[in-house]
Amino acid sequence: MPFDTKNESNHLVVSVDEARLDASIAENFKDYLFNHIDQDASDMVIDLSVVRFMDSSGLGVLVSALKKMDGKSKIKLAGAQPAVLDLFHLTSMDKLFSILPTVTEAIEEK
Amino acid sequence: MEILVVEDARDQRMMLTRLLTKQGFQVYEAADGLEALAMIHDHRGIRFVVSDWMMPGMDGIELCKTIRATDFHRYIYFVLLTGNSDEEAVVEGINGGADDFLKKPVDFNELQARLNAGNRIIELKAALEAKIDAIETDLKSAADTQAQLLCDPAQLGNVAFNWYFKPSRFLGGDMFGYHELGDGHICFYQLDVAGHGIPSALLSFSLNHILCDDQHGNVVKEVLDTPPYVRGRAPDQVLSRLNEQFQAKAESMLYFSMAYGLINNETGAVSIALAGHPPPLWVRKTSASIEVLPIAGVPIGMMPGMSYSTESLQLAPGDRLFLYSDGLTECENREGEMFGEDRLKSMLKESITKDLGLVVNHFEDSIRDWSGSEVFEDDVTFLLLEWNP
Repeated sequence: MPFDTKNESNHLVVSVDEARLDASIAENFKDYLFNHIDQDASDMVIDLSVVRFMDSSGLGVLVSALKKMDGKSKIKLAGAQPAVLDLFHLTSMDKLFSILPTVTEAIEEK
Repeated sequence: MEILVVEDARDQRMMLTRLLTKQGFQVYEAADGLEALAMIHDHRGIRFVVSDWMMPGMDGIELCKTIRATDFHRYIYFVLLTGNSDEEAVVEGINGGADDFLKKPVDFNELQARLNAGNRIIELKAALEAKIDAIETDLKSAADTQAQLLCDPAQLGNVAFNWYFKPSRFLGGDMFGYHELGDGHICFYQLDVAGHGIPSALLSFSLNHILCDDQHGNVVKEVLDTPPYVRGRAPDQVLSRLNEQFQAKAESMLYFSMAYGLINNETGAVSIALAGHPPPLWVRKTSASIEVLPIAGVPIGMMPGMSYSTESLQLAPGDRLFLYSDGLTECENREGEMFGEDRLKSMLKESITKDLGLVVNHFEDSIRDWSGSEVFEDDVTFLLLEWNP
């Protein structure tokens, strides 16, 4: 599994160790996130610093996780590279998520 | 049931043949691997091979590997005869693709039991193949239905439309269309449902239906009491209405990106809104330049209450708009490089004086050459329109 989690300052930090977050791993990633959301209600930071390319399916997983949270906790996105930031911009993801340069800043953000 | 016995020792071959024939098998014989391959080619009923390991020429393990590497349009169940119970030999045999093993001298009851086991596997595989055939037939007929939903290339008033559409495998989530609204405007749209296959295609079918056949004025137009009795809704309104109607459940991930625009037939004024769709390209004839329309917006179905923005632009005679789905720019060549927006822009610039139909053909050839394949990983769609009063 190219996903890992750790707890840090009341946040669940999920890291994606995969250069492409696309349709080929979207289902696995969704199941992984949904499992954690079912077990743990803390705010989540998704560390995307390794991801160089994300497609609409990858984006769909992030939004599905947000829907699954149902407003009970927050999801923050950290470390997005330029191509991923372009996608976030095109799809106005700043309306749905806090998008921060690093995991540390994401944890500190209120 | 047809079976092939491969054994270089004539007496042992004849003994096996005699025993298997008695059990009702139709038996073919080969003295080495090469002869066996020819037999399997010629006799399409052969589903079982019982082969000795050590043989001159091509031995049993090579025969097995060659069978696995060749497409005979059927599964060949391969039983390898081993002279010893050497574990390494068994590992080599399994790695070579053998299904089962039998120690020599052959115990006939054991051979019979192993062939029965093999038969169960062959029958399971045949049942599975029949089911897959049925699913593929259904997918093909759904793909035909999808093709029938697409608009033909057309001239609507002063606006010419042409397009290219290539679904990934059989079915895709891309859809597009254009029609006159009856208030002097022509609407045009393109959308891309995330994911592939039946769920995505079904959503794109139903969206197409809603956008084309909006008699009650729920989405693309308002019905008025006075002439012209109908008025196209502003593109951002169309997108927010769709967004309220098509909120996806978290599990389904059925979101879609969309571009929706209106063009005034007489004036060439265009208004357009985007929901997470790749930015359309404006091909300006007089300056021979390409302008990107980077209009941001949340894809539809992700979150209720989203608002969208409508951008306005004024086409000059001969100007074109190029709308596409991300399958086009994200299409990779064999080295894993994406087609990209820059390549698209220069192609549009080079083809500025060509007919729409020729541009479409040229793009189709280019993208196929780029991918080096007839089958694309994602739907590849684009829509090209030109205003010429």
